[in-house]
Amino acid sequence: MKLSPEERWDLIDRISRETVSFGAYRHTLKDAIGELTIKPMTGIPIAIAVMYGFWSVFGSFAGFFTDGFFVRLFDAYWLPWLQEVFPGQGRFLYTIMVDAGGIDSGEFVLSSNCLESFGVLTSGLFVAIGIVLPAILIFYLTLALLEDIGYMPRLAVLIDTMLHKIGLHGYAIVPTILSLGCNVPGVAATRILETKKQRFIMMTLLAIFIPCGAQIGIMQDVVPDLMGWILLYLIIGYFIFGYILNKVIPGMAPEFLIDVPPYRRPMLSNIGKKVFGRVKGFFVVAIPFVMLGCAIVGVLYQFGVIRFLGDLLAPIFVGWFGVPAETAGPLIAAFLRKDLAVAQLSVIEMTKYQMITSVVLVSIYFPCVATFAMMLKEGWKELIGALAVLAVTVFAYGGLIHLIGILLGVA
Amino acid sequence: MKILLMGHPNVGKSVFFNRLTGANVTESNYPGTTVDYTKGWMKIEGEDVELIDVPGTFSLDPKDRAEEVAVAMLHESKDVRVISVIDASKIERGLYLAMEILEEGYPLVIALNMRDVAEDKNIVIDAGKLEWILGVPVVSTVAIAGEGIKELVSRIREAKPVDVADITANTASTADAAAGTAGGEV
Repeated sequence: MKLSPEERWDLIDRISRETVSFGAYRHTLKDAIGELTIKPMTGIPIAIAVMYGFWSVFGSFAGFFTDGFFVRLFDAYWLPWLQEVFPGQGRFLYTIMVDAGGIDSGEFVLSSNCLESFGVLTSGLFVAIGIVLPAILIFYLTLALLEDIGYMPRLAVLIDTMLHKIGLHGYAIVPTILSLGCNVPGVAATRILETKKQRFIMMTLLAIFIPCGAQIGIMQDVVPDLMGWILLYLIIGYFIFGYILNKVIPGMAPEFLIDVPPYRRPMLSNIGKKVFGRVKGFFVVAIPFVMLGCAIVGVLYQFGVIRFLGDLLAPIFVGWFGVPAETAGPLIAAFLRKDLAVAQLSVIEMTKYQMITSVVLVSIYFPCVATFAMMLKEGWKELIGALAVLAVTVFAYGGLIHLIGILLGVA
Repeated sequence: MKILLMGHPNVGKSVFFNRLTGANVTESNYPGTTVDYTKGWMKIEGEDVELIDVPGTFSLDPKDRAEEVAVAMLHESKDVRVISVIDASKIERGLYLAMEILEEGYPLVIALNMRDVAEDKNIVIDAGKLEWILGVPVVSTVAIAGEGIKELVSRIREAKPVDVADITANTASTADAAAGTAGGEV
């Protein structure tokens, strides 16, 4: 027998009257904190403080381990040791695996640090373990805390009005924040949005404008003083293009209803398990890709493909985006791993503004291969649409950033 | 036999799943943590049984992709039993979904989870009476602390389909009984 919704509610009403007794409601401390963090007057300053805290912890923790430990380990011991023991200096395998070196006043010299060497075993390992690992470890630890306490839905409520302007609603903050760790779970989390339009806007914005934890970690390490500008350009882009997509794409953007759960004391075991699982995921998926990316770019360099592409694309790179033609190499690596691409950019000679532009370009340009695969899983039509938007965005936004630079007199 | 964990978002389905299978699916304190299903194995009286962690859904009438996954999971599986996980502090809504599942004829057992949260809010549920009215096992649990899990497992075999007409009849008779005692006191 099936009931109509009315009959069902009616029956449930009778059941609960028989079985549930409600005592007096007490206003507890938990409730009070809950209200403070959700009312705009107090909630928004608290949200800003929480985000700032998140950022400070991230920066100092990652910096502490990378600069204080891994840089020394890799540059002072690992690199010189490998340069010494790996056979066949200057030969093909040596160049790819250890050190491509450089030419200084006509003579071949070995690199002095692991970012310049470009080798699979040197740059590849250093980027993956020395820079990205500490960054994502602390990111996931803090994220797990926010998740388990129950802060995310409150953030969603606070930012709701703003996200409606781009056709989304407050709950879109969940995929967005998850994407700051890795875009792959971010894309999966778009399933909590109700309409196709919302999912498409969200997926596209994530793929284009949200840098992943690995990328943020390496930017924090190699271009710390430019971070603010890069993130500002990405956030502004997120809203500009979200606004346009919302106007252009047909479909509904309904209001969202959300249960704000009570705050809970996070359980150490659960946090441990989550962080371990996510970091393990990074190890298994990312490290092979970083090393593969390093190898592919190294080989392409050796065969002159990068120089060829650089020359071919120079008019676009130099004329339209205002960045050096050599950025072609990192852009190829960016398809495999964006963290690797940023590392490679950091050793190319260019002005500060060109660096800002090229790092932003690496972020918004093609999603990395793992994200690409995940988007394909969610639907190939959406993927093609997202890629079309992406192509337009890279050109329009890249040009706009260049134009702003020209107007400011820095490009 | 397959067992599905079903319920609203953020009622603790994934916590049950991890407890019951020893797996490691992500648990968080926000609705929509699980957007795809996860399968695992558990033992009931020595028999290996497949357990599925289903994304949260408010009803069997899906409104987003995650809910579509949940409803498809229920309709496409054969020989299933459902553990209906209900947030004890929001029992009516939870019962709505449980009732829909019962109406479609699936055998059900109810886990009244987060009993501690309900107690904080001064909500007391007579699980025994609820069980009598519904005709399916009802177990109070605090899944994150592991309370009630063993009892839940031991009672999965008792899950059975029930006729909604019987439930209606049961509420009528308890209401009469209550009216009777109330009348007697006057």
